[in-house]
Amino acid sequence: MSGPNDDNHTELSSYFFEDLLDSVIVDIASECHRIARLGLDHNLDEEEEELRLSEEACARVADPSYNGEMNSKYVVDIFGQAHPPVATEIFECMNCGRSVMAGKFAPHLEKCMGKGRKARLKMTRSSTAAQSRHSRGSPVSAYSPYSNSTSAHRLANGSPAAGEPYSNGTSEEP
Amino acid sequence: MSSKINGQVSPHSCSHLLQFRRRNGPDSFRALQDCLRVKPPGGRASIRRDPAEVPCCQACGESGSNRLYACVTCAAVSCHAPQLTSHAAAHAQSMSPGHEIAVDVDRAELFCCECRDQVYDQGFDAAFVLAQNTATTTTGSTLMQYSAEPGNLRKRRRVDYRHWSPDSRECVTMTNLSTPLYDSTNSSDVPWGLRGLNNLGNTCFMNSVLQALLHTPLLRNYFLSDRHNRYHCQQKNVANNDGKNGRLCLACDVDAMFSAVFSGDRTPYSPAKFLYSWWQHAANLASYEQQDAHEFFISMLHRIHEKEEKDQGKPHSQGSGDCCIAHRVFSGILRSDVMCMACGFTSTTYDPCIDFPLDLEPNRGGSAKSSSTKSHNSCNVEAERISLNKDCSISTLKGCLERFTRPERLGSDQKFFCQKCQVRQECLKQMSIRKLPLVSCFHIKRFEHSSIRKMSRKVDGHLQFPFSLDMAPYLSSSILRSRFGHRIFPFDGDEQDAPNDLSSEFELFAVVTHTGRLDAGHYVTYLRFSNQWYKCDDAWITQVSENIVRAAQGYMMFYVQKMLCYRASEK
Repeated sequence: MSGPNDDNHTELSSYFFEDLLDSVIVDIASECHRIARLGLDHNLDEEEEELRLSEEACARVADPSYNGEMNSKYVVDIFGQAHPPVATEIFECMNCGRSVMAGKFAPHLEKCMGKGRKARLKMTRSSTAAQSRHSRGSPVSAYSPYSNSTSAHRLANGSPAAGEPYSNGTSEEP
Repeated sequence: MSSKINGQVSPHSCSHLLQFRRRNGPDSFRALQDCLRVKPPGGRASIRRDPAEVPCCQACGESGSNRLYACVTCAAVSCHAPQLTSHAAAHAQSMSPGHEIAVDVDRAELFCCECRDQVYDQGFDAAFVLAQNTATTTTGSTLMQYSAEPGNLRKRRRVDYRHWSPDSRECVTMTNLSTPLYDSTNSSDVPWGLRGLNNLGNTCFMNSVLQALLHTPLLRNYFLSDRHNRYHCQQKNVANNDGKNGRLCLACDVDAMFSAVFSGDRTPYSPAKFLYSWWQHAANLASYEQQDAHEFFISMLHRIHEKEEKDQGKPHSQGSGDCCIAHRVFSGILRSDVMCMACGFTSTTYDPCIDFPLDLEPNRGGSAKSSSTKSHNSCNVEAERISLNKDCSISTLKGCLERFTRPERLGSDQKFFCQKCQVRQECLKQMSIRKLPLVSCFHIKRFEHSSIRKMSRKVDGHLQFPFSLDMAPYLSSSILRSRFGHRIFPFDGDEQDAPNDLSSEFELFAVVTHTGRLDAGHYVTYLRFSNQWYKCDDAWITQVSENIVRAAQGYMMFYVQKMLCYRASEK
């Protein structure tokens, strides 16, 4: 059975706790009162409206019967045009002058400029092979016919692309 | 309720407060400055008293649960229990007139005993802030740092408006040397400049950012007003004899792209020359594979800046935006405060920023996809999905910004040397925005790379973003104000003389989204014209409802200052 001292203890502790809790609540109430009175929260209504619209939108889009957007790429655009999945426009490569198809331009340019992982690995293989063959090691390898491009100047320094991020094969961010 | 003048709020006062002020003159509350105890970082201010002294009501001796108020006129302390007895009100009535205003002993807030409500006074708040200031600073003032101000925040000069219309000779010149733009499709409803971009082989990361930039109001106006004429620029480069590389100018290629996209031709444009130019600049990013749109964005702005800096020859102060159009449009200034927990001394630094990188909420759990685990994911995903439904809190852009500007306690292993204490102390760090850019780009860090675990993952969850955004709560002036209890006082950044030239209200105009996996995904941009949204998916431009945009997974969001955003009137 708990004696009178124990009762006082629990009573006192809950009294102090409630006092502290009240004090903290009034702190927050006082701050909110000030914020409201000084108009520092004047955007609250707009914010709530935005949140509501967002929720509604997510719910509507998640609904399988929603047809607001054609997911397929093979649609007609607003100008009434249809486009093939891989762009077919033909133009001249500004590096080598050859005719290239738009959708394949990037991979072409990569090889053409001597950039990219595969091209670089090819370069280093050929340059180190060249170095071993010739005692002085010509810095310009057989794979860089475009001596005007900056890439050849970079690789012509002779180092087998040691400092470059791609050389160890890890993939970069998409 | 209250009115805003010059960024400062003047609250309406009750009649008793007005009377008090009239009776006691302009410095009614200055005397209280010495009675205020300093607010420790993260704590609350109060009326100064001896550590052993326990204030209690002069009428009933209560010192506990009820709030205690000290009369400003006679310093008598009374208690106030809202629904029950109020000895404070009794004191005011018995000693009236002149004793209506009291101050909360524990919170240093003014209280009107007649109205029984908290009231606010500019003079009192000023006294409060000054009391804090003198106590917490030695050499460096934290409030009005005119010396430490970034030097480029000169007062904005106002230019007189001058009307101009072309004279007859200019009219003739304009007619002869220009060709009218015409829209080959007969759809005059479709906004000008909307044109698809061909994917040149995994270049959707580039196309998405280009679409956003092609329709960034200030950037578009700059290039379409011929502010960077590519013919002149190339001639100048050749004249300067910089060699082959001297003619490399990304801005010239951007100019060409603007001309092509806004020409009225609606067939998709291939940004091939631009790609070639960019790869010549950014050799390390030149490869045929999927890349990060944000990285491209930064790289592009950097190259435009570099060339401009090289041409102009002199360095500009950071963050002023005077160096190049890229910075003029996108750069802002961030303020970083480090506060000593022991003494409150604050060290402040300013840094320019070109966009705002924001973290999604940590421990989002549910929808994070890891690229390292390939198999046996199905049951895990189900379990995660169930737990996600239970989680009701929505992730919002404002939430990310709040987290960005929240005071962060640096760990005990990152103690900071406090100049006042002369010893390493634990500290609080808080970021805020000193100067807003004209166009804010928010970059949501969805791609996490852990070099430790040799793993990358994409965080997929939905982030709510508003179409209209008020950045005021994240400004340095607001953050400082909240640190001092939201007191009425002109803080760093508050424009006192000039009315708000640039408000803090922004409007969304472009959203770049990423769908799919980390290694196999797709970027798409949504553009907003008046209140109509268009989806730019490489060569395909389609109209979409705003619901699609709201529900989309934003990766980069572009907001422009509202006053710079031209829209047809909705009324």
